[in-house]
Amino acid sequence: MPELDVELNRLKLKNPILVASGTFGYAREMQAYTDFSRLGGIVPKTVTPLPRPGNPPPRTVETSAGLLNSIGLDNDGLDVFLEKHLDYLCGLGTALIVNIAAKNIDEFRTMAERLAPESRIAALELNISCPNVSGGVDMGSDPQLTEAVVKAVREACPHPIIAKLTPNVTSVPTIAAAAAAGGADAVALINTVQGMAVDWRRRKPRLGGILGGLSGPAIKPVALRIVYQVARAVSIPIIGIGGIQSIDDVMDFLVVGASAVQIGTANFYNPTLATQLVDELDRCLEAEKCQRVQDVIGTLQADGPVPACNR
Amino acid sequence: MSDPQSTTSYDQNPCGIHPYGGMNQRAVHKSAVVVSHEPMALNTFRLRMTCPELARQIVPGQFFMVRLPGLSDPLLGRPFALFNVFYDANGEPTDVDFGYVVIGKMTHLLSQCQPGDELEIWGPLGNGFPLPDGRPLVLVAGGIGQTPFLAVAREALRLQKYGDPVRNIEATPSSVTLCYGVRSSGYLAGLDDFTLSGLDMQIATDDGSRGHKGFVTQLLAKILDEQSDKPVVYCCGPEPMMQAVAELTASRETPCWLSLETPMACGFGACFSCVIRVKMNDRDWDYRRVCVEGPVFPAERLAW
Ligand SMILES: Cc1cc2nc3c(=O)[nH]c(=O)nc-3n(C[C@H](O)[C@H](O)[C@H](O)COP(=O)(O)OP(=O)(O)OC[C@H]3O[C@@H](n4cnc5c(N)ncnc54)[C@H](O)[C@@H]3O)c2cc1C
Ligand SMILES: Cc1cc2nc3c(=O)[nH]c(=O)nc-3n(C[C@H](O)[C@H](O)[C@H](O)COP(=O)(O)O)c2cc1C
Ligand code: FES
Repeated sequence: MPELDVELNRLKLKNPILVASGTFGYAREMQAYTDFSRLGGIVPKTVTPLPRPGNPPPRTVETSAGLLNSIGLDNDGLDVFLEKHLDYLCGLGTALIVNIAAKNIDEFRTMAERLAPESRIAALELNISCPNVSGGVDMGSDPQLTEAVVKAVREACPHPIIAKLTPNVTSVPTIAAAAAAGGADAVALINTVQGMAVDWRRRKPRLGGILGGLSGPAIKPVALRIVYQVARAVSIPIIGIGGIQSIDDVMDFLVVGASAVQIGTANFYNPTLATQLVDELDRCLEAEKCQRVQDVIGTLQADGPVPACNR
Repeated sequence: MSDPQSTTSYDQNPCGIHPYGGMNQRAVHKSAVVVSHEPMALNTFRLRMTCPELARQIVPGQFFMVRLPGLSDPLLGRPFALFNVFYDANGEPTDVDFGYVVIGKMTHLLSQCQPGDELEIWGPLGNGFPLPDGRPLVLVAGGIGQTPFLAVAREALRLQKYGDPVRNIEATPSSVTLCYGVRSSGYLAGLDDFTLSGLDMQIATDDGSRGHKGFVTQLLAKILDEQSDKPVVYCCGPEPMMQAVAELTASRETPCWLSLETPMACGFGACFSCVIRVKMNDRDWDYRRVCVEGPVFPAERLAW
């Protein structure tokens, strides 16, 4: 039996199959379909300091092999999260990674301070990459801000930190390096790719939020490219996210340099997938005669020139 | 049955506003074989598939998601209401069917599928309609919005039982009426199925090709004005029609439940895409998920 556990600096996971924020609700929604204790970890929907009603509907539109969303971080805020969801999420027999978003560094720090005493939390994932939130500074596209926010959270709590980054920047490796400098234990790549859908006959955008984030199989090549670039440029562990819907997709991400992956949109159309992938990973590694997941991470053999944009 | 009006707190139920709402912890995700697939009306088909786990549990007004396996476009499942449940020779529930109109990407492809093909399905989902009680029951359907009402009517008339454990209605409604409106008679679907002893079916067509010429809401208004016992109204159809029914029943202080057809990406509460505005105790409204807190809502709770 191959060993499935992985280490991302201070974060230790029993296997590299996680589920992505915003695509798994608060886990309760998935109880009928998932054996939570089999998963490497769960990332519930992003929590913000105060409740947010979210964006007006329509909030999602299906596109070719993808999904555009502008949910707008609809959530009940940190108080309700702690009161209503935390105990449940901590009792599922898997690592709980709490994903937080805030408008500025002070708000991030305050959230981290409030979560600091909760030793059952395995890690914090910082959503500095959501294209749906207006009003705040877009921290994830500025290296200085990225470094500062990671540093502030690191100082405010003992939890391992994952910086979840946006692909909607010129150079993700630059931002990833900044997150590493700020003290992140890992980076999660990628959040959704900004996009749009219109109904030209009605001369209207199809999303209530006008712009949205693209996810699903359509973005997998983009995500894979970014994981590859970051893996070559920065030594920080990577969690690969984007369009994963099969064990081959998982292996692709591991081979280009991800130490773990998150399943996102696929949870919506294949709610039993995440648990199933844990079994398939085990079989796949066995067939590959790998003793450990580590044996495949970053094993891509790519000869040829280093891509120009890869700093 | 609890009347919409009689519930004082909107937040009583941990999962939402509806006493029957919530996430179904016994929902299944399965591959289901198509047993039969036939036209029902213009551009309308009926598809039956085998899934005992679903057939056993599902109750009238609940729905399931259907996905074409192996395809990335369309990527997501689509929600469809239960039309009816079928049994094997031993009386065990085995199959479910649904009626659908060909509208877009998924339903176009679906209309080509053949018996023997497999579909991916998950459910049962949503809350379903409340159990009927002794009061007269008026079902108001617009277009394909009729699909939930066959099972509702069969249960109300004690012709069939649903659910696991099998649920029993306390009292048969003193009358069951279906007001069914479509554009034109060619769109009337499943009339044979709705020919049930005890069911009063009233039809309205926009063009007058069958039944009352005009809107189904006119049929409802007449019933509300003429019936001495105050009925309970269940309604499903296009949004403008449901709004009209909500206004009509509100003005006559008649309890009314609406089944919404909001677009859905997952069907089980994970994506927060299917939201509608619901009136709240502590604020004007909040966005609530139709898939887990609905699709059936008390009309007066909706902040349109
Ligand atoms: C609980 C529930 C039960 C249902 N039961 C039935 C049933 O029994 N029978 C039945 O025929 N249908 C039913 N529906 C509707 C059914 O799900 C849709 O008709 C189906 O999803 C259409 O899929 P499609 O791929 O063919 O169409 P699509 O290509 O997805 O488009 C369908 C139409 O909807 C529009 N549309 C798509 N997305 C949105 C959006 N986000 N906001 C607004 N408009 C949008 C499109 O412009 C298009 O006109 C039900 C819906 C719900 C929520
Ligand atoms: C409907 C929806 C909601 C999402 N909400 C969040 C969120 O609240 N926080 C977050 O960090 N990412 C959110 N994401 C992004 C996903 O976690 C993931 O990064 C992205 O969808 C790419 O992965 P995928 O292609 O596997 O879905 C959301 C994605 C979708 C589709
Ligand atoms: S359809 Fe996903 S939450 Fe309702």
